[in-house]
Amino acid sequence: MASYPIFVLKRFGQFLLVVFLGISATFFITHMTPIDPVEQSIGAIQQMGQSDPRAVDLMRQSLRELYGMEGSLWQQYVHFWTRLATGDLGPSLSAFPTPVSTIILRSLPWTIGLMTVATLFTFILGNTIGALAGYYRKSMVLKAVSLVFIAMQPIPYYILAFVLIILFGYLWPILPINGGYEMNTNLQLSFSLVLDILRHSILPALSLILVGTGGWLIGMRALVSNIITEDYVTFAELGGVPKNRILRSYIARNAMVPQFTGLAMSLGAVFNGTIITEIVFGYPGIGNLLISAVHAGDYSLVLGLSALSITGVAAAVFIIDILGPLIDPRIRVE
Amino acid sequence: MQKWKKLAFGVALATFGLVGAATAQEYTTLPRKETLIVENPEGTIKNPGWFNIWVNGGGGVSTGLQQLTMDTLWYIDPEQGLGGSAWDNSLAADKPQYNDDFTQMTVKLRKGLYWSDGVEFTADDVVYTVKTQIDHPGMNWSAAFSVQVASVEATDPYTVVFKLKKPNSRFHAIFTVRWNGAWIMPKHVFEKVADPVRYDFANPVSLGAYKLKTFDPQGKWYTWEKRDDWQRTSLARLGEPGPKYVTYVDPGPPDKRTIAQLEHNLDIIHDNTPEGMFTLKDKSKTVESWFPGFPFAHPDPTLPAVIFNTQDPLFSNADVRWALALLIDIKAVDMASYRGTATLSALGVPPTAIAMKDYQAPLQDWLKDFEVDTGKRKIKPYDPTIGQQVADMLRKQPKYKDQIPTDPAAISTAFGYGWWKPDPQAATELLEKAGFKKVGGKWMTPDGQPFKIRLTVEGDTRSVFTRAGTLIAQQWAAFGIDSKAAPSSAVWQGLATGDFQCAIAWSVETWGGDPDLSFFLESWHSDFVAKKGENQSARNWQRWSNPELDKIIESIRRVSADDPKGIELGKDYLKLVAREMPTIPLMSYNVFTSMDTTYWKGYPTIADPYTDPVPNWANSRLMMVKLKPAQP
Repeated sequence: MASYPIFVLKRFGQFLLVVFLGISATFFITHMTPIDPVEQSIGAIQQMGQSDPRAVDLMRQSLRELYGMEGSLWQQYVHFWTRLATGDLGPSLSAFPTPVSTIILRSLPWTIGLMTVATLFTFILGNTIGALAGYYRKSMVLKAVSLVFIAMQPIPYYILAFVLIILFGYLWPILPINGGYEMNTNLQLSFSLVLDILRHSILPALSLILVGTGGWLIGMRALVSNIITEDYVTFAELGGVPKNRILRSYIARNAMVPQFTGLAMSLGAVFNGTIITEIVFGYPGIGNLLISAVHAGDYSLVLGLSALSITGVAAAVFIIDILGPLIDPRIRVE
Repeated sequence: MQKWKKLAFGVALATFGLVGAATAQEYTTLPRKETLIVENPEGTIKNPGWFNIWVNGGGGVSTGLQQLTMDTLWYIDPEQGLGGSAWDNSLAADKPQYNDDFTQMTVKLRKGLYWSDGVEFTADDVVYTVKTQIDHPGMNWSAAFSVQVASVEATDPYTVVFKLKKPNSRFHAIFTVRWNGAWIMPKHVFEKVADPVRYDFANPVSLGAYKLKTFDPQGKWYTWEKRDDWQRTSLARLGEPGPKYVTYVDPGPPDKRTIAQLEHNLDIIHDNTPEGMFTLKDKSKTVESWFPGFPFAHPDPTLPAVIFNTQDPLFSNADVRWALALLIDIKAVDMASYRGTATLSALGVPPTAIAMKDYQAPLQDWLKDFEVDTGKRKIKPYDPTIGQQVADMLRKQPKYKDQIPTDPAAISTAFGYGWWKPDPQAATELLEKAGFKKVGGKWMTPDGQPFKIRLTVEGDTRSVFTRAGTLIAQQWAAFGIDSKAAPSSAVWQGLATGDFQCAIAWSVETWGGDPDLSFFLESWHSDFVAKKGENQSARNWQRWSNPELDKIIESIRRVSADDPKGIELGKDYLKLVAREMPTIPLMSYNVFTSMDTTYWKGYPTIADPYTDPVPNWANSRLMMVKLKPAQP
């Protein structure tokens, strides 16, 4: 492990390079889209009401200056990195002059909350059932439960979301189907507000959990099925080690290593938001924000959200890389 | 295994406990009988705390902000209005007063109107609004004021005099609400601000009958409360607003809107799919719509059409445009798009009530006699019975047969008068006249290339018109033209840049309740047609110019907005565009607004058409006056 610090430095360099290339690519892609935020803004103003054709050129010129969109693409690119280096994502173009960071920070906690809880719940549930189903292969209950989750996995989650809305919002209306909390509610922190927020998150989280559990379950069951044929498991069984202990300490622990890698990747991708889930349930997260930013040609906001997502995923990979040798004795750094 | 089972049981119990905490769904914490809940079609607002409506800063506009708190000099209602006419002197005490050559406009203001913070509204607010926007490029009305206003001054606290750079008999339109207008700014608030462009106008002071109560920091809902001093607003002339609270909400996609209204949690749905409206009518006993039965929807003063890019050589010839019009089976398009609920229009004006009276009905005889020269013969393409045929077709559907009107006048109001007859033979002759040829079942352009059309549609954004465009493209394809509908998320930008062949969109919008067509027609003058490759300003997306049209527009400029000559000039325009077909008018923009009468009654309908029911229009403030609680 003497070379571990060098390994970490190398991986950190890779992390920075990935972030730089990813954000740069996003910058050029967003600036090459046919949607022009100034024209979108002019369109919005013109569609609002009386528009004087003589005023449009003047409006266009004013908005270009206001949005800082003058200069060549290269100049804008350099300006973008200069600003980003100081942590400034610039103003949103569709919500000018509000900073992109302000808009993102308003939505981010909702996505992180929903996605983190759903991801962890899915991870625990899928791996638990997968491990049990892989080890107790004759259990009819576990077979049935596994079958349910595996059958749900290929269902597009927006379809499941609509089914949940019809079930719990219309036929048996006991759960809220829109938003993050009740309308006109007092947003000062209280037990009832927390309960309200939790209730509003049940259906979006459930749609993610029901569809997402099957993936973890199948993976874990396959890993366990492989591991139970290993010699050390056979020795443990012959040695009279209790079955629960064999499952926990001998099988699940080893099987979890690749699953944790997957978990880290999933948690890194939390920043992506779950666009369709948020739209279907009207959940106030960054998925909804990203879609509206794309439609408005607001590349400042798209870039801000992409930078967050790219950094999140790259950081997750970096952390997995540097923790790998520490948690998995089979990995050796040379 | 026992531990796992216990854990699983515990998780299930906790989940059901949380669910069990819910009884029947409460949608709002405010007293429901005092709260009107309205859909805001803007959806979730990206920048919820931004109330500066004079800057396009990502805040909502139709969150109630423009309907309930803003005011300006005049309103023209898309329907009949409440004050005896569609025209309403709101902040102004009278109509605009122009000098003889329309270079000066004087406005007399009402006295005794107050902002919600107790400051009196005066001429200084109007002057400040104009000067501030001229001084700050980037504000929404800055450019429009800059190009028109030479000077503005308050000659006394209730009189404003505008001197214009050029004669303009329609300058008042900028301060006249159709959907919105140039709203008056509170001078006493903004003058203390360093930069009006960067000011969010949090806790907005109101000039309307309501003021902000609360809003969702995530942008899903806004709630407004009736002002204690509502009598000191311009709306008070018309009566006391009924609802104590009005909440504008993003209720989600059509299915969720429908569910919310069925559960009486959403009083007004702004717009719905035809299918959503049918469901509501089937399942709810308390839902009202503009028409009590088929076609349900309100015809807005907007005219969806096939818009040709006339700078594309393929569509520069009126014969080609006419040929394509004669290939459209409008009844099939009606069924495919609006499921039979469209209000059709062959003329270039939306079939609103006032347009039916002033334009559509008077021009029926002219349309019946109107001829098109195909190069081989003259045809009379107009079928005045199309509206009747649609009604007869719908009457065969058992579900709605009793809802279809039988009175010819009612049929025309609901479904329109007539439209062009499909005539493939005439279309063939017109294309051949234009130099096109049919080779092996496929049409070729005069230079020997396949005749290829891409009809741009908005996709899911406006599914009704996407369905219309798709069917029209198929009808052209069936005739041997390589034609397809092309969905795009940037239709309006494409219209501006000219990056399209033809599109389903609109370049005609009228006041609705007033026959003056200058609202859109002024922008059709050849002075404003962009060169190929340059951006076109709204609304002449077809980039069409015509010397005869210029003469009509210039004549309209020389008469005042309420001069009857304007209507005659409007008819000249309609005849011209019928001959030239720069766009193919299809139908009005029908909006499936549905209104639940569980908590409120007094909504506008065809029986009491005091305003447009579509609640994102600023004119919908009139609804507040007419609505009364439905429950004690």
